[in-house]
Amino acid sequence: MTTASSSSSLHTVDTDSVVTLNDVKVHYPVKEGALQRVTGHVKAVDGVDLSIARGKTLGLVGESGCGKTTLGRVISGLVAPTGGDIWMDLSAQQQLDVNRLRGVNEAEMTAQDRQMWKDLTLNSRLGSMSREKQRQYRRNCQVVFQDAFSSLNPRQLVRDIVGRPLRVHEQTSGAELDKKVIELLERVGLGAEHLLRFPHQFSGGQRQRISIARALALNPEFVILDEPTSALDVSVQAQILNLLVDLQAEMGLTYLFITHDLGVVQHMADHIAVMYLGQIVEYGPTDQVFDSPLHPYSRVLRDSNPSLEGERNRDWELSGTVPNPIEPPHGCRLHPRCPVAAAGCGWSVSDVMSRTEENSPVIFETIKTVDRSDDYNAQINFENEGDAQGFVSQLNGSVINESMHRPPEVRGASVKVSFNEVSDASLEQIQDGRWSSCIRTQERGTLPDLNKSQQVNGKEGQ
Amino acid sequence: MSQDWLLKVDNLSVRFQSRGGDAHAVEGVSFEIQRGETLALVGETGCGKSVTARSILRLVPEPPGKYVAGSIKLNVEGKGVVDILSASTKEVMAIRGERISMIFQDPGKALNPSLTIGSQLAEVFGQHRVEMILESAGIEPARASRAEKRIAKQRASFVQLRFFQLTRRSKAAALQKSIDDAVARSLADTGIPNPRKIMKSYPHELSGGMKQRVMIAQALACDPDLLIADEPTTALDVTIQARILELIQDMQKRRGMAVLYITHDLSIVREFADRIAVMYAGHIVETGPAQEVLANPQHPYTNGLLGAIPHRRTPRGQLAAIPGSVPQLIDPPEQCHFASRCQWAAEACLGHVPQLHTIQPNRKVACFRFEEAESLSVAKTDMPIPAEISGEARR
Repeated sequence: MTTASSSSSLHTVDTDSVVTLNDVKVHYPVKEGALQRVTGHVKAVDGVDLSIARGKTLGLVGESGCGKTTLGRVISGLVAPTGGDIWMDLSAQQQLDVNRLRGVNEAEMTAQDRQMWKDLTLNSRLGSMSREKQRQYRRNCQVVFQDAFSSLNPRQLVRDIVGRPLRVHEQTSGAELDKKVIELLERVGLGAEHLLRFPHQFSGGQRQRISIARALALNPEFVILDEPTSALDVSVQAQILNLLVDLQAEMGLTYLFITHDLGVVQHMADHIAVMYLGQIVEYGPTDQVFDSPLHPYSRVLRDSNPSLEGERNRDWELSGTVPNPIEPPHGCRLHPRCPVAAAGCGWSVSDVMSRTEENSPVIFETIKTVDRSDDYNAQINFENEGDAQGFVSQLNGSVINESMHRPPEVRGASVKVSFNEVSDASLEQIQDGRWSSCIRTQERGTLPDLNKSQQVNGKEGQ
Repeated sequence: MSQDWLLKVDNLSVRFQSRGGDAHAVEGVSFEIQRGETLALVGETGCGKSVTARSILRLVPEPPGKYVAGSIKLNVEGKGVVDILSASTKEVMAIRGERISMIFQDPGKALNPSLTIGSQLAEVFGQHRVEMILESAGIEPARASRAEKRIAKQRASFVQLRFFQLTRRSKAAALQKSIDDAVARSLADTGIPNPRKIMKSYPHELSGGMKQRVMIAQALACDPDLLIADEPTTALDVTIQARILELIQDMQKRRGMAVLYITHDLSIVREFADRIAVMYAGHIVETGPAQEVLANPQHPYTNGLLGAIPHRRTPRGQLAAIPGSVPQLIDPPEQCHFASRCQWAAEACLGHVPQLHTIQPNRKVACFRFEEAESLSVAKTDMPIPAEISGEARR
């Protein structure tokens, strides 16, 4: 864990950051039975390192369920992380210090280091900084939610919705409050005539404008935009995106733009982070990531997005479905679905089972029991030897076979499989400012070719 | 007159009664769908595209909905033309699912959460394919007993079913197997791995993409002539979206059915549709071959819609947004509905409703910029600047 954070945390070392995340985790307990015993954890966000540069837009993309909204909520302080640190307002030097000190065991720190660590945690770490600082952070970091229908209180007037932050944080009231609210409304393209209306009297686009006005009420530096336009029509979306860009230029805002729409993120973001199953799999400048993705997942995302010009490349596709986030795959989390997965990508017993179930359900039915000694070694028992042979021959020639420690052994009606252990994939810098967690890309320096590896991967089951 | 069209919607108008007056959801919409063709009905929220699609299956609730005018004619092979709007309920029931079927936007809401996938799909066969099920169970349909028919139709009560299972064990098993086989075959057709397992699961146990596949299997179970896909991929992720659309395209090629896409996503249209009809405020404003319309849009609204799509080449913050918002549908004035948002709007646009006007073979646009002042009997000075129809691509 410490190695992962020390090797892969800083993405924008050369600039100040509004927020820096170190190995942030959000695990939700899964409770079962009458006693509500905790039987596992849903790893919504699992070890994210990220820093958001001041005055820039960072796009966070990923499919539903990958944890991007949870990450946004953690950063805004709406969800407490179960692990890792969130730092606010670090200079470039401080980011380096944090990174170095996180790798050092506290007992081995020099007195100087210890003092530095103490100062850093007291001044800028969310959770251990003073109350006043926390309050300041909350004022400074605002959120615009996806659904403007449910994020505005239907029983409040626009004046109360937009004026609420001002009342709470700046004790404004009366005519002065009205004046400020009108100013804010004008800034987002609404006017004084909208002051005494309820949310239901507005269209979707106008409601999103009210949401933005509320977020801007306290002059924040940093705004988290959680799918701000996905509920809107294209023509209205264009209006809102233009407004957001204008406001950024005017007020020097920093945006975290969370979305699943690649067209929007391509248009808006300076840098993008691609998320898959709770982890960031690729990070880099937007144009470069779109031109030459360094992770198979980003490549698939880019290629499956239909566009208004050019032919869509249909070669890169994911197979299967998103794995269970309670027990994510070992090694690289994408490997069971990856079109270019190879032997070293982290295959384990669970992958054999799920692949057999998907590709050859008949063989899967013949499995009687599975004795796992750990995630990488197991004995699979069948009714008779013929079924066991069938199971082994089904694996023949697939990438799973290559990744095994030794070929599967048939002993009577049972098969012994054992895999090489692979450490979890972590983000590594591949080119200047380009990070990817693909194990094969890290070895080669470029994204692996599809044709060659497809033969290795073998689509014999389909 | 050749009758190679499959569906012909003629001057369809649908209104909804509301407290403030009648909402004109669909006004004078006409289009045709040929056999095997893919038509996309494109427009933004509230433009009437879903109401049009639902009218084809007569699914608009009456009241508050009302079919004010028009006809929807379906050309049934070997049976002649049926007007869906004036047909009896029984006739319409026979068409739904059999000739025309529909898949909905949110598969999570469209599937019944309290039934297994297998029993939901069996309902389709029970409704339309009773004879097939009886036959493959080795029962002659003409000589089937009432109980057997009821079981095949999925209408048997629990007691009746148990009684039958206990007294006629082999026949009950054969019937059940025949139903299960039919369901499994239709599921396997849509590329669902391990259909027997999926049949036993409930909708909440499946992912969104899988649910949409089940919906497609259900819609295509009876080999319809027309599939209406109402925003089939809006609720899905991009990686799955492409696969679902490819699946629909694949099924269409194999069965030669026509597809009507209802969507707001123009990029999908370009790849998957033959023809496109752009709707705005209840009217069709532009129609033509998909590639041509998207490359060279003529109506100001289509143009605006295309310009509003974020693109990496447009400089940040300079998207060509259409100003204003969609006009009120309740008792709209007699004018071009896009006039309030249109840069070309002139005096003539405020006095008349533009009709679809053929500008090229296969292409029609409802805009006064393509019409002569004489034909409208207004002064030349009141007309908007005429458009230059260029054949070449916009970019």
